[in-house]
Amino acid sequence: MVNLTIDDKQVTVPKNTTIFDAAKAAGIRIPILCHDKKLNPFGGCRMCLVEVEQMKGRQIPACTTPVTEGMIVRTMTDEIAKARKLVLELLLLKHPVDCPVCDAAGDCDLQNLTYEYQVNSNRFTDEKFHHAIDYDNPLIERDMNRCIHCGKCARICDEIVSFGAYTFISRGIEAKMGTQFDGPLNCEFCGSCVSVCPVGALLARPFKFKARWWAMDKVKSVCSYCGTGCQLTLGVKDNKVLTTIYDENQGFHNGQLCTRGRFAYQFVNSDKRLTTPLMKKNGALVEVTWDEALNAVQQRLASAKTAGDVAGLVTPRLTNEELFVFKKLFKDGLGSENYDHSAGYAHSALSKGAVESIGVAASSAVIADIQKTGLLLVVKSDAYETHPVVGFEINLGVKRKDVDLRIISDKKGKLTKLPGAKTYLNIPGTETLLVNALAKTLVDENLVDAAAASITGFEEWKKSLDGAAPEQVAGICGLTADEIKTLARDYVKAEKALLLLPLGLGYPGHTKELAQALFNLSFAAGKHGKEGCGVLLLAEKNNSQGAVDLGLYPVAGGKDAAAIIDGCAAGSIKTLYVAGENLVVSYPNRKKVEAALDKVDFLIVQDLFLSETAALADVVLPACSFAEKEGTFTSAGKAVQKVNRAIKPVGQAKSDFEIFNTLYVNLSGKPAVADPKAAFAEITASVPAYAGLTYETLGDAGVVVVPAMTPKFAVAPGAAPTAEVGKMALVTGSALYHCGTMSLYGEGPMHVCPAGYVEIGREDAKRLTVQDDDLVTVTSAAGAVKLKVKVGSRMPEGVVFAPYHFADQSVNSIASGESVTWVTISK
Amino acid sequence: MSNAPAEQLPEEEIDLAAANEIIDKYLTLPGNLMPVLQGIQDEYGYVPKPTIDLVAERLNVYPSQIYGVLTFYAQFHLKPRGRFIIRVCVGTACHVSGAPRIVETFFEKVGIGHAETTPDLRFTFEKVACLGACGMAPLAMVNDDTFGKMTVQKVDDIIAEYSQRPM
Ligand code: SF4
Ligand code: SF4
Ligand code: SF4
Ligand code: FES
Repeated sequence: MVNLTIDDKQVTVPKNTTIFDAAKAAGIRIPILCHDKKLNPFGGCRMCLVEVEQMKGRQIPACTTPVTEGMIVRTMTDEIAKARKLVLELLLLKHPVDCPVCDAAGDCDLQNLTYEYQVNSNRFTDEKFHHAIDYDNPLIERDMNRCIHCGKCARICDEIVSFGAYTFISRGIEAKMGTQFDGPLNCEFCGSCVSVCPVGALLARPFKFKARWWAMDKVKSVCSYCGTGCQLTLGVKDNKVLTTIYDENQGFHNGQLCTRGRFAYQFVNSDKRLTTPLMKKNGALVEVTWDEALNAVQQRLASAKTAGDVAGLVTPRLTNEELFVFKKLFKDGLGSENYDHSAGYAHSALSKGAVESIGVAASSAVIADIQKTGLLLVVKSDAYETHPVVGFEINLGVKRKDVDLRIISDKKGKLTKLPGAKTYLNIPGTETLLVNALAKTLVDENLVDAAAASITGFEEWKKSLDGAAPEQVAGICGLTADEIKTLARDYVKAEKALLLLPLGLGYPGHTKELAQALFNLSFAAGKHGKEGCGVLLLAEKNNSQGAVDLGLYPVAGGKDAAAIIDGCAAGSIKTLYVAGENLVVSYPNRKKVEAALDKVDFLIVQDLFLSETAALADVVLPACSFAEKEGTFTSAGKAVQKVNRAIKPVGQAKSDFEIFNTLYVNLSGKPAVADPKAAFAEITASVPAYAGLTYETLGDAGVVVVPAMTPKFAVAPGAAPTAEVGKMALVTGSALYHCGTMSLYGEGPMHVCPAGYVEIGREDAKRLTVQDDDLVTVTSAAGAVKLKVKVGSRMPEGVVFAPYHFADQSVNSIASGESVTWVTISK
Repeated sequence: MSNAPAEQLPEEEIDLAAANEIIDKYLTLPGNLMPVLQGIQDEYGYVPKPTIDLVAERLNVYPSQIYGVLTFYAQFHLKPRGRFIIRVCVGTACHVSGAPRIVETFFEKVGIGHAETTPDLRFTFEKVACLGACGMAPLAMVNDDTFGKMTVQKVDDIIAEYSQRPM
């Protein structure tokens, strides 16, 4: 520790702390422009000048200077004020000072400091910049006339996002922040650069001229897209969510968001939102009152209860409290165990795999372990696309903490380009075989951790690996035996090592067995139950983990999603209650799903939008978005976090909580669950991992729950998909800009990635004589879709990729839930 | 700088074999970006866009970063350069002895401005800060040939002379 004096205050801070951070710890504010706590020190703007007595009162930048023992620092003297004023005068010399029309006004560091230092005149004069303003980009407006050359945009895009869109172009007075060839911005559109820009040089275009910054309410919430669970602040005015506001103190991610969290909030106030209940009359959906709709639903459910032919499919986007009441409605109100979410398979790695391997449906690691580990083995480079802000954590781990990144994947991607990343490109669908071969290497080379032998199921598991040796499976997996062995040895030798697997509707191959194979590997290597170790299963949606924690899948003899669809088709399920799931588009085998829904006597769909599924319903109930309700979400990293109500319900929409509750009361005869807070209290009493939590303890920050684990080796055989001769392997998954089907109602994603596509490697494109944007027919045994071609260097020969989110020409028309779909592609 | 290929190809038809060879040579060395870019400029006479994409991919650096480097150092050129590089000194000594007039005259007579190249790729014109021969002010150079005590008349002579030379 180092002791020093700042403005007559005694301060003790760890070695290598900067003066700026030491002052901050002591509650002393030093003004900054180019410094950011998340970025490497830069020291470019000189706003943070302070005086150090030992340096004869010289002025030095606080943000880059480390403290030394006995240092005496003054953060404000007449001289310092003068120097800071000079810095501001020089910046204002070129700056257009067009604050009245700048969306950053009120939230602009330059404006605020100019006010604070009372720079009401300028001793200098000079011509202003004359840079062309980029008004064309739909998401990010760039006005380099306002730029103060702090470099933060370029640094965050490099250091954290690892995209590297920006650079200083030219030098000296001609220097300008720009892109390659000074061209248009074509990037991930995460908006990180907009967030950190201290002025209005980078602006969120969808927010342009929407509201003055100070006129908005700022409401803390949690992103409702993926399982990363990023915290966000909504900018709200006149019952509309107008933007997301950056708060560097929010969440493990310090306010960083991906394009979905940053630019896809518009679904909340979309004019496509359902605003009244609808009922099918004479073959068409017509507007009805809530009374009429709820009466019809209730009557139907009451008779279905007697007949025992009811089932429910619910989206894991709802709050824990809503899922809790949904389950009560089914169990106590309808006496049915037939409910599930996410097509069943998207959570089976957790609900079946983890349950059997560690005794609880959860990961054995948390997101924070990524930066604490020594070696990170990611199964599928897609983890960046499915959970982009987890991707930022990986970037940071690799670049700042020397995490040794290894990737097993059927395609290349953003992660495989990280410095030092080693990629093992495997044949799609062979992941479980491959992970078992890694484990088998440990067994054969006597590298198994001593403690592993005492874990239940060890001997049986060891025996099950006969035939799984690298030599035996290498060819099938598309790797060499040596590659597999080296990876296994590196994994076991690393002091800490973490395994990571994304889950989701696009990843039918990420099965219970794959998860178990990963858990087995972690036990065998002694990489379980320690910091920076374990298996991180990234559940897909904002509350997928919560849905699993609450048991929103059948356990005691109920039907799972697949059985429910089959039941509908067979006529044994006559009433189906769908809350928020768009199964027509996102469940495997669209034709089969549509045929099944067609057979259902009474289909109830509760949604924000008239989705493809809702369009088939007998009754449609308009539900509320996350911004209209309160409750909790549990992230993939097991952070239980609070969602706050930011706006009143849109139109006549009601929260899922309220709708389920009404039906529950009327069908069970039991009293209502008073409110989400009461529901949360009941949850904490029934879900062991949540024991002791209250809304108050969650606070704004949320709480990461750590469930008790009991490791057990499970036999988890892998099998290679049977290749069909002359066909290509289609793998499905997530596109970076989308999450599920909800992002189709977000402006940002739809500007950047408006429709489905099929991604093809360069060699295959040449062979098929196709190029970017050509329309091709992709045909499988199940059907055919027409998709635009995207040629790139990500896909190995013979493998193509298509994202699953899109309703039009949806990929589930050709994919039936197998890890690989065999297709032909023709023009 | 003067070994630009005799015939300039349109950009998209650039043969990347030479660039690949240069990258191969430096691939494993630390700090290889500068020598690779210099090598490419020596080879092609400038740094063609497709080579930037190639370098970005093979050295795993951001294309933006390469662009930043290329625009930071005056030695790099992003466009094909002329066979004859006319450089006029506008340093202090040359400035006071009439360099602005010389510059103007070249602009007028060759029909291009600073850092521009004639469409036939014969001439590139550049103002430079100081050529280090203030005694001969105002000074001009064409490739490695030096012309001291420049006058407006001499501009005509120079243009006439180099317009006749083979490309
Ligand atoms: S939006 Fe994100 S990826 Fe694009 S330039 Fe900004 S920081 Fe980089
Ligand atoms: S655009 Fe903004 S963040 Fe980037 S250098 Fe300029 S002022 Fe800084
Ligand atoms: S979509 Fe996921 S990664 Fe992106 S901001 Fe939302 S929670 Fe974070
Ligand atoms: S904030 Fe310290 S130099 Fe810019």
